[in-house]
Amino acid sequence: MPRRRIFGFPGTLRDPLAGQGSRLLLGLLLAGLAWGLARDARAEDTPATGKQRERMQSIESYASATNDLGTWIWQATTHDDQPCRLWRSFAIPADSPIAKARLVMTVDNEFALYLDGVKLGHGSEWRELFVFDLTPLLTPGRHVLAVDCYNGSFYAGMLLGLRIDLADGRSLFVKSDSTWLVVPQSLPRWTKLAQAGPDWPAATVLAPLGGSPWWAQPAAVNLMPSLQPLRVHFWQTGWFQIALGTICAAALLASLWLVTQLVFQRRERHLLEAERTRIARDIHDDMGGRMTQLVVHVEVTQSELPTGAEMRSQLNWVGEEIRGLLATMDEVLWVVNPRCDTLSDFADYVCNYAQEFLKPAQVQCFFAVDPGLPAAPFHFPLRRSLLMAVKEALHNALKHSGATELHLEIHWQEPHLSVVVQDNGKGFDPALLKPGRNGLINMTQRLGELDGHCRITSRPGEGCRVELEIPLHRSLRSIWWRIWRRHSGSRQSGAAPNKDLLTHPES
Amino acid sequence: MNKSAKDPATLEPPARPRIKVALVEDRAKVRGDWAKLINSFAEFTCIYACGTAEEALRDLPLSPPDVVLMDIFLPRMSGIECTSRLKALLPQTQIIILTAMADQGLVFLALKAGADGYLLKRTTPADLRTALLDVLGGGAPMSSQIARRVIESFRETAPQQDEAARLTLREEQILLLIAEGFTNKQIADKLDICFDTVGSHLKRVYKRLHVNSRAEAVARYMNSKEPPRKLPVSDPA
Repeated sequence: MPRRRIFGFPGTLRDPLAGQGSRLLLGLLLAGLAWGLARDARAEDTPATGKQRERMQSIESYASATNDLGTWIWQATTHDDQPCRLWRSFAIPADSPIAKARLVMTVDNEFALYLDGVKLGHGSEWRELFVFDLTPLLTPGRHVLAVDCYNGSFYAGMLLGLRIDLADGRSLFVKSDSTWLVVPQSLPRWTKLAQAGPDWPAATVLAPLGGSPWWAQPAAVNLMPSLQPLRVHFWQTGWFQIALGTICAAALLASLWLVTQLVFQRRERHLLEAERTRIARDIHDDMGGRMTQLVVHVEVTQSELPTGAEMRSQLNWVGEEIRGLLATMDEVLWVVNPRCDTLSDFADYVCNYAQEFLKPAQVQCFFAVDPGLPAAPFHFPLRRSLLMAVKEALHNALKHSGATELHLEIHWQEPHLSVVVQDNGKGFDPALLKPGRNGLINMTQRLGELDGHCRITSRPGEGCRVELEIPLHRSLRSIWWRIWRRHSGSRQSGAAPNKDLLTHPES
Repeated sequence: MNKSAKDPATLEPPARPRIKVALVEDRAKVRGDWAKLINSFAEFTCIYACGTAEEALRDLPLSPPDVVLMDIFLPRMSGIECTSRLKALLPQTQIIILTAMADQGLVFLALKAGADGYLLKRTTPADLRTALLDVLGGGAPMSSQIARRVIESFRETAPQQDEAARLTLREEQILLLIAEGFTNKQIADKLDICFDTVGSHLKRVYKRLHVNSRAEAVARYMNSKEPPRKLPVSDPA
């Protein structure tokens, strides 16, 4: 960067502004015109607009600008290309509000001004004064002024004056003098320091205001754009942004975790389905086939025996047993087979079961199944539990009611599936129900596990109506609950085996 | 076995020639037992016992039986496909599907493919005999679950199809009552019709179901320009 020496005065300008000379001349002319015209004009009251440095020309008189200035100070030694850190703290009494605070300063050659660690501005012209309005920035209490200075060459010094007018008429002055301290260059973040170090030397006074080699009157007075306290909204504060960031990160992590859980769950379900298909095929092809073979063979053997032989009745018994086994296997197959995971299949199976179950007891079964049950998946655990509850209801009806007719209704009202079992039997008074009847408790409990509910209405002589209702679209809460349960379950001794898969509700 | 001992009320006189039954079942032992069982009935004689669907398609047209008992699970060609092809070759022959398990989905597929009824393999001989006679006489019984599926199947297909592929009002009425759990006897009483009429209505329903599903399959074929995968339908014409 080229350096230019102007008028042989001490000091050089580092990084001079374009048109420095003409600006200086104009400044001198206008400043001379303003002399005496606006002696008491208060430049500080002019609102500083924009970020551009505004040149104060006629408002501020030189006399008032230099009124409260101190002396030229620097550190003990002076040399070219020298940085210098000057620091001072001051206190404002708390008993009166601040009416006005104005800081005027300049440095040969450059400076940056900090108040309580916040940079207020900078300047690089020793012939001119820089005026800062600190009124909105100062509050009662302790404050720190820090000036980061730089000397390009030759003479070096800082000139500063801060005048604080309190509302009660008193004025405080902070001037550049030997009370200022020189901060060592090695200290990091020194502008933010609130306390002076014990080894900081005091500043050296070089010359009074107007003393050689510096000016008696400044070439210009620059009103620096004043720093206004900003209204900081809560969302602009650091803690809020950190909290928000943390929440976002947590949400992101949680959703990632959830997605992986879902992927795993889906894969597990696929594996489970494949396994169930295999089991179903094995049961059907091997066990089913062979037992069917047995039952036919028993029939043939039986028919070949002479009528009335004792063997015939025994073989008949064997045949009936195998038929019973095959019927049980049918149920296992239905439960296991993923192909039967639909509402329609469920309705089929429940109706068929009811018919077969009630036929020996001469109870006629009537059905009311909603047409067009969706082929929506109705998964295995849900299907099995609901079947168990329905079986329990049928069993109770057969065992206790003495009914001759039973109505089985299956209704689908998205997202609720309800099964109603109503008999025309002798009924009972629910209030007089013995506490030992677990059948009803079981049903309620089973349905509770599925987020559903069980409603039993009966009056003596008017039959009994059991309504079982479950939601098929599981709520988000229950998905979370299931994932949580899966995790806590795997940490414990594994899931409980499905004991009730094959057992009869009452056995 | 005493031939005249079992004479259900609904039957033809025993003087008529015995009803010819063919058997398609892959397990040789079961095949033999079934054949024995059928031959033990006075009204029936087992004329064929085939091990595969291909064998059945080759042999049965040579001397058409009255009834075919068809297993669903056969090696290579399935019993359902065999039913579909055989029905095209021998429209007069009644086909009864035999299934080890009460899988309504499979049974319904078989019925759509042209089967006239179905039986569980574990049925007692007496029930088997009744079922055979029902199919030949009044029409096969239908469970309420199958009735419901039949109704739904007809409701799903487009209404612009020909008469034969649609249910009549009376047929639908009967199906609805079956789906609700009424027995054929109760339906006859309720609708004030003859008991046998219910059976013949059902028999027509089975036929219509076949025609309907064929029409549906053809429609699907026309729409998708792809051959249907599960039930290839060979045109009888």
